[in-house]
Amino acid sequence: MVLDTVAYCRRLTVAVNVISKRNFKAHWVAPTLREFKRRKVIEEDRSGGPKIFHRSTFLEWNYDAEIFAFSNRLGEKFDDSSLRAALTHKSYIEREKARLSDIGLDSNLHFQDNEALSQKGGEMMSKFINGYLRAVFTQVPEELISAMHDFLTSNSTLETVAKHIGLGDLMLCADFPCKTETYVKSFKAIIAALAESSGEERARIFVQDLVVTQLYGQDVNELWNPVDPVGNLAAILKREGKAEPEFRLIRQAGSNSILAVYYVGVYSDKHFISEGAGESLEIAKEMAAREALKKFFHTEDSMRALPFGRQLKNIQSKIEQLENQPNLPFSEWISEKVMSAVH
Amino acid sequence: MSNSHLFLPSGFIRTPLQNGLGRYIPQLQRITLKFCKSHGGSRGVRDFIESDLMEFAKTNPGTVVYLKPRRHRSPCMVAEYLNGEREYLSCHEFSRDEVYKWLSYMCTRSGIPVMRFRKYQHTDYPTIQGVWNPFTHQAPEINVAEFPHEVLSKPNDQGPTATEQLIEIFKKTQMEDPANKPPN
Repeated sequence: MVLDTVAYCRRLTVAVNVISKRNFKAHWVAPTLREFKRRKVIEEDRSGGPKIFHRSTFLEWNYDAEIFAFSNRLGEKFDDSSLRAALTHKSYIEREKARLSDIGLDSNLHFQDNEALSQKGGEMMSKFINGYLRAVFTQVPEELISAMHDFLTSNSTLETVAKHIGLGDLMLCADFPCKTETYVKSFKAIIAALAESSGEERARIFVQDLVVTQLYGQDVNELWNPVDPVGNLAAILKREGKAEPEFRLIRQAGSNSILAVYYVGVYSDKHFISEGAGESLEIAKEMAAREALKKFFHTEDSMRALPFGRQLKNIQSKIEQLENQPNLPFSEWISEKVMSAVH
Repeated sequence: MSNSHLFLPSGFIRTPLQNGLGRYIPQLQRITLKFCKSHGGSRGVRDFIESDLMEFAKTNPGTVVYLKPRRHRSPCMVAEYLNGEREYLSCHEFSRDEVYKWLSYMCTRSGIPVMRFRKYQHTDYPTIQGVWNPFTHQAPEINVAEFPHEVLSKPNDQGPTATEQLIEIFKKTQMEDPANKPPN
């Protein structure tokens, strides 16, 4: 498939890295090239940047070879028709139909677009991500699971993933440079195409390897913060039948200065739960309650490393089981109920 | 201290899209070999194409190989990576082995421009036990202590002073030989 219409646009810079070598050029070469560059810069500034062309406009382009390489790069086997359908957008089909009818030809195009595949793929991806999160974060309330899921399925994350597996050159779409939604749609459709071709198991592993790994490096506590941590901590302890939380000042320094620091500890029946630091007593108290909740949910800074890739072999069945089983919501969270599900 | 790194950008080692964490995806998207069919400078590239290229293409099925014969031009290879970067290398008067070696070099790159690595390791979780602050390992007794305090005001790792040690030695000698005690 070749984009027949000349597809180019303007961009800020086009970079080519050269592995440089020592070479001998005549004395007039450098000044000539400098002058060319100067004129080119002026011209490009006037028109808003250098032209960039879609890769398919190059002479060296073979769509079939590119598709073959795409599936091999990922280590997956795709059905040819499913993969091509996943990469074809409605906008492209409409544009081709319009072009053919303009010329006067009958538009009997047998293209299939990726609307249905994208829808199905999006649902599957959500399901797989939720399964993983619930299997790894067993002690965590459902609100944090949804926050992590929303981060992983956000447009920016999926666009990055789609770009870095090479979808940019393979997609058949009318917009160039391709919009975020186009990338996201194609990526979701690819997942559905993979499930159709190689089975749901392979699609699950694909999502775990490509999408879920984007969670690495993210602090999960930045994705979701519980409202009113002090009140919620008291509620949780009450539900568990423990004594209510007592906040005590345990360290302080520089009370009358800008750089004041207060450490507040949370105790339940004189047993230490956690401590938190802050610039004022109220902040320190809230941080202490947050730390206590982090300790309950096993999401402290010292929490276990997330498993990826081969480390998931043993828990795949557990992941599958938990895909449709949400965790406890925050308002009902009790440690006894989550203790039974041990990671 | 060499000056070859003065203008080379430096950074920490990194990989696009957490490659390798889940699965390893070869980052070389496509490679274009441009050569002349008759000129002598392209001989190495032509020999490589005739002998080693098929094996290369079979061992790297995730990379598309394009061959572009161009008359009266010196040979070159352009590698395109998944993160959008391109690498150009002139193959003029390369031997067949050199072409093969540079091609395998291109396969190992990730497209991130060549830079001096400040460290060969990188982590997003630099601390597990928590960064030290002046309150770490402090005795909780300091909170309700009145200073000066006989124990907490002193440095906690101070051993006996030389004077104290001498007094101890003297006392020991006193106890060992009670017959030598000076008569009161």
